[in-house]
Amino acid sequence: MTTNNKVKVAFFDFASCEGCQLTIVDALQTHLDLLDMVEIVQFREAMTEKGEDYVIAFVEGSCTRKCDEERLFKIREQAALVVALGACAHTGGVNALKNVQPSLQDVREYVYGDKADWYETYPTRPISAVIDVDAFIPGCPIDRGEFVKVVKNVLLGKTPGIPDYPICVECKLKENVCLLLEGQPCLGPVTRAGCGAICPTYGEGCEGCRGLIPHPNENAMKDVLDEAGLKLEEIMSRFTMYNAYQKEQIETVEERI
Amino acid sequence: MNLKVLDKRAIAPLVEALMDDYRVVGPQAKGSKFTFEAVTDPANLRFDYDTTILPPKKVLLPPQERLATFTLQEDLQVKTVLETEPTVLLGVHTCDLKAIQLLDEVFSKDFPDAQYLAQREQTILISLECLSPCDEHSFCKDMGTLTASEGSDIHLTEIDSAYIVDATTEAGEELLARYATVRDATEADMQKLNKELGAKWPKFNYQLDFETAKLPSMLEAAFEHPLWNDLGDRCLACGSCTNVCPTCYCFNVYDEVDMLLTKGTRSRNWDSCQLDEFARVAGGENFREARAARQRHRLMRKGKYIYEKFDELGCVGCGRCIRTCTAKISIVESFNTIHNGKK
Ligand code: SF4
Ligand code: SF4
Ligand code: SF4
Ligand code: SF4
Ligand code: SF4
Repeated sequence: MTTNNKVKVAFFDFASCEGCQLTIVDALQTHLDLLDMVEIVQFREAMTEKGEDYVIAFVEGSCTRKCDEERLFKIREQAALVVALGACAHTGGVNALKNVQPSLQDVREYVYGDKADWYETYPTRPISAVIDVDAFIPGCPIDRGEFVKVVKNVLLGKTPGIPDYPICVECKLKENVCLLLEGQPCLGPVTRAGCGAICPTYGEGCEGCRGLIPHPNENAMKDVLDEAGLKLEEIMSRFTMYNAYQKEQIETVEERI
Repeated sequence: MNLKVLDKRAIAPLVEALMDDYRVVGPQAKGSKFTFEAVTDPANLRFDYDTTILPPKKVLLPPQERLATFTLQEDLQVKTVLETEPTVLLGVHTCDLKAIQLLDEVFSKDFPDAQYLAQREQTILISLECLSPCDEHSFCKDMGTLTASEGSDIHLTEIDSAYIVDATTEAGEELLARYATVRDATEADMQKLNKELGAKWPKFNYQLDFETAKLPSMLEAAFEHPLWNDLGDRCLACGSCTNVCPTCYCFNVYDEVDMLLTKGTRSRNWDSCQLDEFARVAGGENFREARAARQRHRLMRKGKYIYEKFDELGCVGCGRCIRTCTAKISIVESFNTIHNGKK
């Protein structure tokens, strides 16, 4: 590749389904102007070249093994900016579900059967628990429009512009009939907006894939879900689906139950 | 007063005719609720609606709106954006009408708001008398908004199979003359009207335990009331109560620029004092960090601050904030708690 003024970026993946990277492949096709600004030097999902001179690293996936750490340290050392890409990297995502199981060995056997011992594992963490992260793009998967916005803002030296307010705001402005008020479970009041309240818009309660807002009132959320007729296990499984790692918050809820 | 009668069957043709020249916005069903939407088929209009999720305010102050475009090359050039259109806002209940009158004040006093005023000027308001309470949460009787003598261009009151039509402004009269098939109200129609209006009153209950004139001074004395902490514990800070409020008018302004830094857009969207980041300023300081303080702020606005600035209470008793709150926080209960605690 030739020298130019473009910012060199690279994509990396850890424990994840690669869905966020696919969303980016999509985004690159609909927002070609992104490629006027950045040059991709490494992206296993989409190309074979492997440049190591990247300035911005987008990291998908969570850290689930000791051997992931070394790779993350290397990325941090090289990149001026590290962006956590998607729920797995940002909050630990569904991968952290194993953290709330009684035994990691059981989890390993459940997944890998008699080959369990071939695979290393330890409790799942978001990448920010291992290295410093400069920005994150939430969601499972990420929203392509939001990806474009964050890239733009980061390149302009602005804050990424991820909302700090809850899904209810977007839901209300869309004038959706509130599911919680109709007795359906929804984590919208404590979950970070930015997806356009897509699940409630299509009649499904929010499952919290974008992570919790900065100061969620989990106790009040628990009371409200309780009021909506949910059982304790249902409340906990809704809270832990994507946010198991954010134990602290969840423990506050448990203490009260 | 020269009242007319509009047969219910004449509504669809009237709306059809208006649609040729105006965007007509009126109440329509959305699942189990109602919303104000641009009419595409007059048959979808629901004058029997109880209340709407968002108030009709959204026509005059859209949740998201472009304010200006600018270019950044060489010198900065700013162009105001006015995306307004001639609109007939149909079926506005009197609580929401009162709220629009307050917004008119807000957006014309001190800092006249180009976008709001431009859309307001092009909007004809047709209001609709409520003959029974929309539901158990309304407290329009307390707030004095369950009927209206002014504020719209045309006011409608249902009598059996027709509406009594009161054109209160020139624009209203012109609209009637041009688009509607109406007849003069007869003595019999007037009797029906008076009967409806008389029968309506007892159907509405007072919900507040005190006269609303007391609100400002009552709240003045309640700055340290224990209620605020209780509300702070229960509130999810979801912002729904302000987003659905017909009198809330706070917005956030933001700029977006293109990748090559050549041009951009300045826009605004509704903001909410209940959100965590609302009072966060440069440097990260948040001067209203506790949910309790934010709850207090909202009620102070409704019952005291707005009154001090505009001589009108900031609440019209529509009950939307109560209906929408998943934590079951009620402005009526809160006001009563403060009042009864002080007796
Ligand atoms: S459906 Fe969920 S996100 Fe939407 S307003 Fe209700 S609680 Fe909030
Ligand atoms: S509504 Fe909730 S679960 Fe659905 S995409 Fe948005 S954050 Fe994720
Ligand atoms: S609050 Fe009163 S005026 Fe407003 S819609 Fe309900 S009944 Fe009508
Ligand atoms: S709607 Fe209820 S929970 Fe949401 S911010 Fe308002 S008072 Fe708090
Ligand atoms: S404070 Fe509540 S009841 Fe009063 S006008 Fe606003 S939404 Fe309606």
